[in-house]
Amino acid sequence: MAFDPSKSWDTYPDIEITLNVNGKNYKVKVKPYERLIDVLRYKLGFTGVKEGCGRGECGACVVLMDGELVPSCLVLAVRANGKKIITVEGLAPEGKLHAVQKAFLDTFAVQCGFCFPGFAIAIKHLLDKNPNPSEEEIKEALSGNLCRCGSYYRLIKAAKLASEYVRQGKIYFDVKR
Amino acid sequence: MAQAQVPEYVRVVEELFSKYKEFIYVGKYIQRWDAVSKITGKALFTADFLKFYKDPVYVYTVRPKYAHAYIKSIDTTEAERYPGVIKVLTAKDIPGVNDVGYVIPDQPLLADKKVRYIADPIALIVAEDKYVAAEAAELVHVEYEPLPVITDPLEVVDLKTLKEKEHVRIHEERESDIISHFKIRKGDVEKAIKEADVVVENEYRTGMQEHAYLEPEAAIAIPEADGGVTIIASTQCPFDVRKAVARVLGVTQNKVRVIVPAIGGGFGGKEDVVNEIGAKAALAAYYTGRPAVVIHTREESMIGHSKRHPMVAWYRHAAKKDGTLLAVEANIVLDTGAYASLGPFVAWRAIVHSTGPYKVPNARVDTLAVYTNNVYAGAFRGFGNPQVTFAFELQMDALAEELGMDPVDLRLKNILREGDRTVHGQLLTKEHGVGLEETLKRAIEVIDWYRKRKEYSEFAEGTLRKGIGLALLWHGNSIGVEGADYSSATIIINRDGTVTFRTGLTDFGQGAVWGLVLIAAEILGVPPQLFRIEPPDTSSTPDAGPTVASRSTVMGGAATMNAAYKLRKRINELAANMLGCSPDEIVIRAPEKEDVKPSDVEVFCKSDPSKKVKWTDVVEQSFWDGVPLQEFGFFRAPKAEWDEETGQGAPYVTYTFGTMVAEVTVDIETGAVKVDRMVTAYDIGKVINRVGAELHAEGGAIQGLGYALMEEIVHDKNGVVRTYNLSNYYTPLIDDIPDEIIPIWVESGFKRGPFGAKGLGEPSIVAIAPAIVNAINHATKHRFTQIPLTPERIYLGLKRAGKIKL
Ligand code: FES
Ligand code: FES
Repeated sequence: MAFDPSKSWDTYPDIEITLNVNGKNYKVKVKPYERLIDVLRYKLGFTGVKEGCGRGECGACVVLMDGELVPSCLVLAVRANGKKIITVEGLAPEGKLHAVQKAFLDTFAVQCGFCFPGFAIAIKHLLDKNPNPSEEEIKEALSGNLCRCGSYYRLIKAAKLASEYVRQGKIYFDVKR
Repeated sequence: MAQAQVPEYVRVVEELFSKYKEFIYVGKYIQRWDAVSKITGKALFTADFLKFYKDPVYVYTVRPKYAHAYIKSIDTTEAERYPGVIKVLTAKDIPGVNDVGYVIPDQPLLADKKVRYIADPIALIVAEDKYVAAEAAELVHVEYEPLPVITDPLEVVDLKTLKEKEHVRIHEERESDIISHFKIRKGDVEKAIKEADVVVENEYRTGMQEHAYLEPEAAIAIPEADGGVTIIASTQCPFDVRKAVARVLGVTQNKVRVIVPAIGGGFGGKEDVVNEIGAKAALAAYYTGRPAVVIHTREESMIGHSKRHPMVAWYRHAAKKDGTLLAVEANIVLDTGAYASLGPFVAWRAIVHSTGPYKVPNARVDTLAVYTNNVYAGAFRGFGNPQVTFAFELQMDALAEELGMDPVDLRLKNILREGDRTVHGQLLTKEHGVGLEETLKRAIEVIDWYRKRKEYSEFAEGTLRKGIGLALLWHGNSIGVEGADYSSATIIINRDGTVTFRTGLTDFGQGAVWGLVLIAAEILGVPPQLFRIEPPDTSSTPDAGPTVASRSTVMGGAATMNAAYKLRKRINELAANMLGCSPDEIVIRAPEKEDVKPSDVEVFCKSDPSKKVKWTDVVEQSFWDGVPLQEFGFFRAPKAEWDEETGQGAPYVTYTFGTMVAEVTVDIETGAVKVDRMVTAYDIGKVINRVGAELHAEGGAIQGLGYALMEEIVHDKNGVVRTYNLSNYYTPLIDDIPDEIIPIWVESGFKRGPFGAKGLGEPSIVAIAPAIVNAINHATKHRFTQIPLTPERIYLGLKRAGKIKL
């Protein structure tokens, strides 16, 4: 009855795809049913991408795919073949913080932190399109992200502050600690 | 006189409370230690560790088709033949004890005789892949004998008589489906009611709330060579997981090691369910010899972990014409669902708080927790108190209305002040810190209560109505009689002058552990940036008791103080020797800068600051002198007192107090509510971690808003959960928050809390819903008595009352 590992249990084919994640190309073998989130997290190690619901409802898993905001839990990996993906790990060069992240610190916004990668990406996406958003536009842009710890006020403040940084041309900051 | 009996560890806390008046770190805005790692995506949560384990097995739980049924047979053969399935485990495969009940042993890990709710685990599929595991679950054939399903606790017990009704028993192995019955008996209620000028009587209902922490539950078990297992788990209580897993595996506790990485929220929900999934993962690791993973999907999380107890309560309040409360009577029924979980403790906390922070000379309260076939209810931020607070604070407003009094004036007449006795007969003294009145006065001043109350009362045009309401709270700190109330922490000063901090208390976002570091930093003089918090690990961090009941800052803080105090004493003596002044004169101070280094910290004599050495030199000297630079601190609360028959005694060491005010706009034609503004005024004794405190005031209010207006786990009549994902269970999103939340901090000082501190974790949600509903009732001139108060309920309520025509 024990499972025989010499027999392959998965009859689905492996498909080789290329993903450009945070500026680097990765060739990776995936199954046709595999979700982008799992490939990013477990095959490539980008665990900054979080899974909160698996159904596109919480925003914890959002990434930029060719500049568009997508929940990586709803994208099949094969559909991301050849795309440019930005995750929270790619917002700033190693050892630096992106303006959005700096703003999170300045507003003391972090609680459990599970939602922050998603909010960081959503705010970055907003600022890419609209460097000077109003409060209403910020709320609209973040309405798909859940923060159960309730850091919303600070996330709004942080988005405003980040937009100021970006408009002043301050994109990257040193990490102090 | 009692002084001689005060244990040393309490004396230390009292001494430091009276000594420290000014603070360098405590109460200041200081970035939590893990903020950078969390915003860069580097912080590792449990599921993230999977990237380090290349060949894990996946565990998926087979759950029943019925919420209540006998199991006739379980046939796993087809599932076992499914390609990719390694093993299917049922109750008979459990080497130890098949039970994960938290307070009472009523909950099998894997059901074999009976299922009692719709997600009751029956079998585990262990497979090469998570999809395979889920698919194979469909191939486990279970033969059931369905039983009638009970989803309404009032089918189990009569609200008036509190007698158990005829019903199909859910737990036949027990005497009754009533799991606990607590009482308060004080004075002569009958007589008081006869003599009263006004009596108000109402029934209240609160909904089943879901924690919906953003990180679903997860556990990874790694088999160890000696037959033991290491578990990485998203748990609030690592030592409880260890105990549960050891029992299920039938091994000693020292063979089970539980490590807690970053946790994506808990709110009380990551207590018993993690014992359950930790044990499931451990079983799979035991049988396969490979790392085993349980990661709940959101759906599994929603149906498969504990919830906030729904409550049905009948309350009667009696008062004199001038508003003086004469008596409170209540029958309170809590629905604990299929298993007790922490239900008995929740029911106890509920009854302790059931009459509110008021002087109540006569009282008769009964609180019951009963089984149903709903998803089991357990711990959730507030732990029974939000439910009763909803009821008694609506009662207070109903009473005010009957009396023609302003709700604030009625409360001012009755609130607990220093020198008063609680309903349990506990005398509140200066040592407890009783700042309730100050929270009330400051809150209504900030919001301009009397003017708005009058203005909104008079306004009755169009469809948009404004209202303002308030609610008061008290919340007993730590766990009272629910168990041994102790905590501990270890501080280690390393040879390079940095500090290692260890405690078994966990941080699931609330930041309490950071508060402990601020306390240690204050006493040692070493800035918090030089501390490293080691993650809780049952093999190296001391058992600090569970991280529940708003106890981390108070209990853990007091333990931390003890460790830091002892270390500081030794360091002072050593430095005094080096510098040639008295130990009392030693000052340790760091320059104010973000990237401070150990060598920046200076140690000098107060009377002659030119006599100084570097902190790092003192540390180095201590190594040469053999002066130990690590300390363990311990604290235990005095034993709580509670008379089972009368509810008299001293249930908690102290209470956090608060006043919440809400302003709302209600569209009476659609029932839509907008909470415009809230004031949250808390007496938490002393603010330790200011950032954490503010975040709690905001986050608790937002979660409380969800509880008040939108959140409810709904079962259909078959016990099937209809709200099983975030698309049909609504939590507040960024559009739902009030325009502003104004925090107010009252620091009354609790003599036996660290620097006077009391807890805030739970209180931050306790009185939000009644404040909002009182405001809605004010706006609509209607008396709604149920939460969540959805637009539908508002609309239908007003329509039935003939208050709207549509
Ligand atoms: S995990 Fe993708 S949106 Fe929630
Ligand atoms: S900080 Fe916990 S979910 Fe946002």
